[in-house]
Formats: sequence, C-alpha cells, structure tokens
Amino acid sequence: MNIGWTEKWTLRFAVVALIFLAMTGFEGVLMRTQMAAPGALANFERTLNAIRITDHEPTPAELFYGMMTVHPVVGIYGFAYMSVMGAFYFLVPFIMKREIRHKKLVPINFWLQTGGVLLCWLSGFFGLFNSLYTLYWPLPVSFDRVPLVGTIPFTVGAAAIMVNILLFSFNTFSTVLAKSNPQSYTFGQFLRAAFGISRLMKALGKEDKSAPNLDYNGLPVFIVAVARGSVDTVINAVVLLTAGALILVYGMAALFGHPLNPLAVDALVYKNWFWWGLDMVADGNVLIYTAGVWYLLIPLLVGRRLYGESVVRTVIMVDLLVSLGVWSHHLLGDQVQPFFMRLLSGQIITWGEFFTMGLTIFASLMTIWKARPVKITPPLLFVLGSIFGFIIGGAAGLTQANVGLNVVLHNTQWVIMTHAHTMLLTGLSTLLFAVIYALIPMLIGREIRSRTLTLAHFWLWMVGSVLMTYVMGMAGSQGMLRRMLYPQPNPYQVYLDVALVGGILMAVGFLAFLGNVLTTLGWSSLREVLLPRKQPLRGVAL
Amino acid sequence: MEREERFWLGVLVVVFLLVNAITLSPVVPWQKWTLWARPTPQAQFHVEFENYRIHLPSQGIRVKAGEFVEFVATSRDVTYGFGVFRKDGKMVFQMQVVPGYENRIVWRFDEPGTYDVRSTEYSGPRHPEMFIPDAVQVVP
Repeated sequence: MNIGWTEKWTLRFAVVALIFLAMTGFEGVLMRTQMAAPGALANFERTLNAIRITDHEPTPAELFYGMMTVHPVVGIYGFAYMSVMGAFYFLVPFIMKREIRHKKLVPINFWLQTGGVLLCWLSGFFGLFNSLYTLYWPLPVSFDRVPLVGTIPFTVGAAAIMVNILLFSFNTFSTVLAKSNPQSYTFGQFLRAAFGISRLMKALGKEDKSAPNLDYNGLPVFIVAVARGSVDTVINAVVLLTAGALILVYGMAALFGHPLNPLAVDALVYKNWFWWGLDMVADGNVLIYTAGVWYLLIPLLVGRRLYGESVVRTVIMVDLLVSLGVWSHHLLGDQVQPFFMRLLSGQIITWGEFFTMGLTIFASLMTIWKARPVKITPPLLFVLGSIFGFIIGGAAGLTQANVGLNVVLHNTQWVIMTHAHTMLLTGLSTLLFAVIYALIPMLIGREIRSRTLTLAHFWLWMVGSVLMTYVMGMAGSQGMLRRMLYPQPNPYQVYLDVALVGGILMAVGFLAFLGNVLTTLGWSSLREVLLPRKQPLRGVAL
Repeated sequence: MEREERFWLGVLVVVFLLVNAITLSPVVPWQKWTLWARPTPQAQFHVEFENYRIHLPSQGIRVKAGEFVEFVATSRDVTYGFGVFRKDGKMVFQMQVVPGYENRIVWRFDEPGTYDVRSTEYSGPRHPEMFIPDAVQVVP
C-alpha cells in the first residue's frame, strides 16, 4: 500500500517513540532489579564495563545513578516528545485543513530528537553521567563526583533536544498562525490572547484592538490547547538550554585546565530558575496537551460535540497561567526558600491544577455520559484509563504539594512513584497508546488486528502500573527514599518485590501491544515506513 | 457555564477549602510550631555536610522529649538533605541542605528513643553511604 508523506513521518516518530519506551522500560526493570536484589546484575555489569569510558571499575552505585539520570530523558524526551511530535505533525495540519508550514523541518526534528536522546543516553549508560535530571547546582559541575567525560556529551545532547523542541514549536506556531488561515493571528496577537490579556482588557472596560477575538473562537479547541501548551514547551526548552549552557561552560573550563568556582552561582537561585523551567513540562504542557487530546479524541470517538466547549477554552488559558506559578512545590523541602513562596506557589497556586484538571476531566466524562450508549473502542478504553491515571496521580501530587505533609513526603518513593510515575505510566502513556490506537487506522486504512491483544495490553498495563506505583508509594509513606540504594537487609524488601511484579506485568502488556501493532502494520507497511524512498513532498489528503 | 458545571465547580471549591484548611491547621502536629507559633528553641544543633560526610556536634545530639530544638545544617560543597528517621525507617522530618545557606528547622520530639540521620538528597554516587544510626537521643 502507498502511505502518504505526512503519515509516513508520523509512523516513523511513533516507531522510534516506542523503541525509546522499550529502552526506558528496560532501564526501569534493571533499576528495580538492582534495588530488589543487589548483585543480581553483576555479570551483566561486568560485560558492559569492558566497553565503558572510565578510568576505574565503576561501582554498582555509579551504574545505577547513571541509568537513573538518563531514564527520564529517554522516557520524556524520547518516548513522550517523539509521540507528540509525530501525532501533532499529522493532527495539526489535518484539523487546520492545511499543510505543515515548514516540511523540511519534519525530518530534521526526527533525527535531531533521536540523536539528542541517544547522546544523552550514551552519556549516562557508558559515560556514567550521574547528576540526575534535577541537575542541582553545583553537582553537575562537581567533577570528582560526576565524570567530565559524561557531562560534556550529556549537555550537548540535551542542547540538541532543546534546540529541536524550539524548531518543532516554531513549526507548530507557523502552521497554526500562518496568514493564509482565514482566522490568522500574528504571534503578538496570539500571545496576548494566550495569556488572557484581551479578556483582562475587556473586563477593565477597554477594547483590545490588537486582538481579533478573545479566545481563538475561530480555532478548534485541540489547536487552542496545542498552541497554549507550546508556550510552556518553549519556556521549558529555553530555561533548560540556559542551565545546560552553564554546565557546559564549567565543563569546558575544567577540560582545558581552568576550573571555575562552582560557588559563584547561587544554588538556590539556580534551583528556582531550573524548576520554573522544568515544571513547564510536568505541570504545563503535559496537562494542556493531555486536555487537548481528550477534547479531540472523545468527541470523535463517541460522536458528540464536546461538552462545555466555551468553558474548556478558558480552562486551557488558566492552565497556562497556573503553570507559570507552581514551581515552588519542588522546593517545599527547602527551608531557605521564602515561606510565602512555598505556601503561595508551592501549595495554593498548585491547587489551581485541581480546578483546571477537575473541569477538564468533568467536561471529558460528561461528553461521554451524554453520548450514551457508546461503544468502548480501543482508543476510548485507553482514554478512560488515562483519565483514571491522571485522577489518582494528580490526587497524590496534591497530597505532597502541601507545606505540612511535604515534611514527611519530600524525596520519598511517594513523590516519584505514586505521583510522578502514575501520571506518566497510568496517565500519559495510556493516553499516548490511545492516540496510537486511534491514529493507526487513519494512517494506514486498516483496523487494529487483535481485540484480545488490545484488552491484554490494557489490563496488564493498568494493573501493573497501579500495582507498582501504589506499592512503592506505601513504601514511601513508611519512609523509603527515592534515589536511594538501601543495603541488605532492606527494610522495604516486600514492597520492592511486589513492585517488580507490577513492572513485569507492564512489560508483558507492552509486548502484547507491540505484537498487535506490528501484525496490524504488516511487513510491507513497516518496510515502507522505515526504509526511505525518494518521493516528492506531498501533503495529507484532506 | 451550564448548571452541572457550576455544581461541579462548587464541589471543587469545597474540596479545595476543606483540604487546605485541615492541612494548614494544627491537625497536622508540626503546623503548630511551623505555621501558627514561633516557639523559642531550647537548644540549637549545628550539622555540617561535606564530601559525603555528615558532621554532628562533637557532644552529640541529646534532646528532651517535648522541648523545641533547632537544627542548623550547612554544606560546603553540594546540596544534601538532612533527614531524621525512627528506628523502623519512618521519616520524622527532613529538609534540603543548600550550599551557601544556613538551613534551619525547628522540631519537637514527642517520643523518647534513638533516631537515625540520613541524607535525603542525592549528592553523587556515594549518597547511600550518608547514614548515621542512633544520631539523635531523645530522653524523657
């Protein structure tokens, strides 16, 4: 069969995204094994050490933390971002009924993202860069703890990813805001509307002559979410680029024998800046893009107009505003962070997400409810699973984003598993699976092959992810720290053993999904997608 | 906004008010002295972090149950965490130890016994070694 140019690139992004998911899942299982049974991976480690670029035999802890550093990079910037790029490059032009503005950027985005993520992964897996994704100053430039040979390639890889994300966002904005669109906006007009300035002017009794309308009334709600979420995406990339550049400067200075003073940079100011930017993903674009995808998929799947559309447009705007002010919930354990910042930004503004996600989920569920009877198709099943994931992961997040409760929850397994991994695995990943299940028939004109495998994937993934994250959350509530390798006998052993079972269930579910997708695509389609063939650029059939 | 949306928004507002009011109130025991009162500590203990080591005061940390004490933690290199744990591993409290700052926390131990100290923030591959058993003694 002949797959179109855009469809082919979307499938390429999806295939590589799934490879990255497999990699990050494999790393997860390795780390979980290391925690549950120290020494079990000794032979495996010895084999890999033979090809590692280090001046000494790495300790199990160095290997563990190197892997832990790249695990989220591969998961977020490999799996999630590659999925989003592929999906948006198909959906945005499809919904806007126009072509991607800069088509040449699509393969550049594909290769730069893939290369950047792989370079970061190599830096951790072989170069033992172990500063963790938090990069708390001055750990990444403390070269007696973090090898320089890993630091420099990691920052180069991270910079490639961030520049690529800026290019992707530029292409998205260009496509959405292009002048040939009947409801076109300039970038300035777009930003004014994105942050609600036009609404504010109206509320103050003044007319905003720069704004064609108040809330993108001419644009589909999914596009509104993509556009507003991409504001967070850009801020995240710019902030992380600055942090990476700083680390790179220190790294190069050390490399050429002129080390700089790490204490010249204020660790608390850096931490605020870094978390402000990083949170544009965790509490910004993830939530806004997720809302946008629910608003797109659910009406399509149940055949009913989105419930409360005018309200959700406002909710997306509030989500963007809230995302700018919540970063202090990552600094609730920092007594030197001003208390009003911890209370206001860390707790009260963070609760803004309770309202935005609460209204988003309400609109999504009401759309399904009012469309009864509905057929539970594979994508709808996974959409419902993702809503469940965001509810329970969000509730765990609000529990820890609390100046009182954070005293005993900060840096425990509760934070990283019950909140973060529930959001990522039960919420976000399940939603990305829903998108893949929905898009494959649109892209190749064939239905997903096996309903049995689809159901196996769904239940194994859901049960496995909830079991793993909630069991570890219970360990966290008993005091088990994240980022910690406990010596034997480990007081949390029983939790680790059960969590490992949860991880294995997820892995089996993923294999069921992979088998289903591969047999649906078939060898001929897969070959057509993966092997480049000369053909003229052409757009998706509208 | 439709009627159901208004109702749901009302539910969200009620939950927001209830949860925040409860967790900011003295129902959470340490909110009594971190939020609602500023008690004068009966003793102050300086804890220094450097090169994966936790340096406790030379005379040790011995406090009376029910008394307010202040811990002042400093780091000379990277960010660490100062966490106090019960013998069964449950966390009593913790704070980040940011280099270049005096990181302070006031606490009141209600139960006599011995407590462990552990760094609660990753500071490099030797982070798991940063553990001092029986570092705090609380006497009746």
